[in-house]
Amino acid sequence: MASSRNYDILIKLLLIGDSGVGKSCLLLRFSEDSFTPSFITTIGIDFKIRTIDLDGKRIKMQIWDTAGQERFRTITTAYYRGAMGILLVYDVTDEKSFNNIRNWFSNVEQHASEGVNKLLIGNKCDWEEKRAVSTEQGKVLANELGIPFIEASAKANINVEEAFVSLARQIKQRVDLASEPQQTNNIDISSGQKSAGGGKCC
Amino acid sequence: MSSNYYYNPNSSHSQSVSASPARPSSANMPSTSTRGALLFAKSKVYVHPTSSAKDNIPGFIALVRPPGGADKDILLAWVPESQMRSDEVSAYTKVDLNMDDGLHATLEVLVPMPSLTLTSSYAFAVPLHRIYSIMLRPPSLGWWWGSVIIHTRSEDVIPALFFHDAESQSTIMQQKIRNRKFTPQDGDLFWGGDQFMKYLRKYTIVERSTFEQRLYLINPDPDDLLSFSPPHARVETVDNESLSKIIKDARWNVLERLARVTRFSRRAAHEVIGNSPPVVRAMLNVPEVRQLGDDFDSARVYLAKWAMSISEEAERNKTKIVWTDVVGDHIGSMGGDILSVDDRVERRNEVSRDEWKAFFDASGRLRVTVSEVKERVFHGGLSRDIRSEAWLFLLGVYPWDSSQLERQSIMAAKRDEYFRLKRQWWDDIDRHQIDTVWKDQRNRIEKDVHRTDRNIPLFAGEDTPHPDPDSPFANIGTNVHLEQLKDMLITYNEYNKSLGYVQGMSDLLSPIYAVVQDDAVAFWAFVGFMNRMQRNFLRDQSGMHRQLLALDNLVQLMEPQLYTHLEKADSTNFFFMFRMLLVWFKREFKWVDVLRLWEVLWTDYLSSQFVIFVGLAILDKHKEVIIEHLEHFDEVLKYMNELSKTIDLEDTLTRAEVLFYRFQRTVDAIDRKNKEPSNSASFPTAPLTPHPSMNGQTGLGLPDKTLPLKPEAGKVIISDVLRELLSKEIIVVNDTIPMEGYES
Repeated sequence: MASSRNYDILIKLLLIGDSGVGKSCLLLRFSEDSFTPSFITTIGIDFKIRTIDLDGKRIKMQIWDTAGQERFRTITTAYYRGAMGILLVYDVTDEKSFNNIRNWFSNVEQHASEGVNKLLIGNKCDWEEKRAVSTEQGKVLANELGIPFIEASAKANINVEEAFVSLARQIKQRVDLASEPQQTNNIDISSGQKSAGGGKCC
Repeated sequence: MSSNYYYNPNSSHSQSVSASPARPSSANMPSTSTRGALLFAKSKVYVHPTSSAKDNIPGFIALVRPPGGADKDILLAWVPESQMRSDEVSAYTKVDLNMDDGLHATLEVLVPMPSLTLTSSYAFAVPLHRIYSIMLRPPSLGWWWGSVIIHTRSEDVIPALFFHDAESQSTIMQQKIRNRKFTPQDGDLFWGGDQFMKYLRKYTIVERSTFEQRLYLINPDPDDLLSFSPPHARVETVDNESLSKIIKDARWNVLERLARVTRFSRRAAHEVIGNSPPVVRAMLNVPEVRQLGDDFDSARVYLAKWAMSISEEAERNKTKIVWTDVVGDHIGSMGGDILSVDDRVERRNEVSRDEWKAFFDASGRLRVTVSEVKERVFHGGLSRDIRSEAWLFLLGVYPWDSSQLERQSIMAAKRDEYFRLKRQWWDDIDRHQIDTVWKDQRNRIEKDVHRTDRNIPLFAGEDTPHPDPDSPFANIGTNVHLEQLKDMLITYNEYNKSLGYVQGMSDLLSPIYAVVQDDAVAFWAFVGFMNRMQRNFLRDQSGMHRQLLALDNLVQLMEPQLYTHLEKADSTNFFFMFRMLLVWFKREFKWVDVLRLWEVLWTDYLSSQFVIFVGLAILDKHKEVIIEHLEHFDEVLKYMNELSKTIDLEDTLTRAEVLFYRFQRTVDAIDRKNKEPSNSASFPTAPLTPHPSMNGQTGLGLPDKTLPLKPEAGKVIISDVLRELLSKEIIVVNDTIPMEGYES
């Protein structure tokens, strides 16, 4: 079955966060390197694919995009379980979306598979004059939740690549560890944090 | 265009043709001095330029040998009756009727050579050596006319020819002769295309492709033969080596097309799989070929169960496998074959302004029945210049029995009411400041409005400064129509407090506003639409769940093969239809088609849930591809999502209507069967047995997965959710939970 694959590892990621924080835009930037300001709202679910090279391995990333509104959570949570990595996205110009990350996080804890890798993303970091959430606040929250953090901008193409790739790297490490029975199953979160650039934007 | 290939380019299949099918041609009859020998003719072979039967053009398919021409020069032609002189018609008819089974043309009839100078028809004539392949589709379930599609070597588009066998004297005659000679079980149904191919074989080599049974290669060269008709009987048995040879040699750039398909670039799947030579589809089926397109994601997503877990329940009900047999026995034992009834469904031209006006008398009261109006709109849709008026009836703003005067006063009152509702929140300054729930809803609406249909010129502009300097959109600019959308949605958020604004609603409002272009009127039309649509937005998603369940049951009943496949692909949660049903295919069809689709659906002419049949029609159209190529949920989802903006509306509506009638007959047949004394004696008629509840698992209180038909010891009962599909009553479900707290 595996003989014909053109990738070594398949990684499934899921984007969650309030509606309008830019999940689809981040995905579009990462998968097709484009941006459109008047994107349409995401209804239901969709995914995009991008294959990257990581340490000589072909990593095929299947990234699922979901509708942000609470009303559709019964559907979107159905997708948590298959995800190996979850990107929690907020909008640095929208405090509400930041405060709501805790809700999203507990949702993940509730529905996602154990050991799933997570990454906190503060999107729209190019929009300084509208900024409502400081980088420091983002870091504090990330520390509290025990997950890596990065600020990014789909529009200005800042840290988008880094965000997705760093998450992929962590997952790959976890998978590699799991496939080597002699080693412990601990996941090195700190190295992931380092690679995620500590959240500096712009 | 090559000089020896005669084809009229006017047949562009565009919708505009539909208004003027083949003109009578007396004006420019061909001045033919050359006459050829008519070797074969078959009457009542039609071109179907549009989906409306009214536009069908009858003609003759013929083989004509030019003076002194070799077999390869024989023209395969189609000539519309309207462009033939009466002496020509009688010559063709004579030949047609004289075709006997022994293939001996008993008479030589000379006719004018079919010519290029006919300018306004679909007529064509092509020499046999220019023909590459012919695809035959005998009449079958769903295709009432057998058809022939001719591919030329230069890959020109030639209209498909439909054999209306029931009208063709010679075919009827032949059928009678055959019926005398053969028992009905003896071979396939005889049709006009058989005769045509028989005669074609007299003059050229015809090889049937082993890849695609309906494809016949005409005078194939060795390469073509190898590509499409390798000596192996079945594709699956081809070994790797010869397979790669086949791939290398195949025409039509199979590999390139494959790559496009497997990347699922927009349209590619649709175009290539749907419209390309069938051999490409056949090749996609070969496992080795599939591997070439490995970009295609085959990774399985372990889907958690949808609410009450449709697939889990299906697993539990192993009896589901049984039901098809049960139904088959059931229906089969009734003597008649309900599925073979002729569903002659046709789409009509749209209701023009004049026609609409003529529905009403001088006082503006309907002078025809509501059902007549709905029938017209259902089958034809509305002309754009009458929509703003007609939609208000369809959406319940105006009662059907109202007079013009009454409507004026209704509108005046509604207008006042809208502005009163709007002013209520507009003037409530406190609320703007303190009420965070309200503010969040307003912000969400604003965000969504700014990303709703911005490609439509009406909503595209950013020329107006934003009224609120604190808005995140303050420095982007807006336009008056976006602001109207925003106000209407905020007003609706107030008006229907228990439901509130939910994403997707802006998609439902924008077409209505664009057509009506008056905020107060559009608001009430939207309220009318939301009356039936609100069940899509309930907190527990039970309305969506019930519709997906209906679709599930319907596919089980109507497309058992597809259903079995979807089960294997972990896709019977039907999530891939979620977006389609939530906003009524707004994202799947082009803007103008959305307007047409919605007005058709609003009629409730056959069913208030006809939208489910539209979904079924799309699945039906793509079922072969799905069954052959999509193995996992993510593939099915991707495929369905990528259909967006490629779906042909009229075809879909026709298909949906046929499927509806077929469904209706199936239900009737089962009901009748159940009423038969032999059955009711041992099994008293009863409604669907309540199924075990699973509420404990998710707490959503959603209905369980059910079988469409419950086989109970020989008795089959249609599920409630299926029976609901026969109702024309709009299903209105309110969200009883009032809005509370913040929604992310």
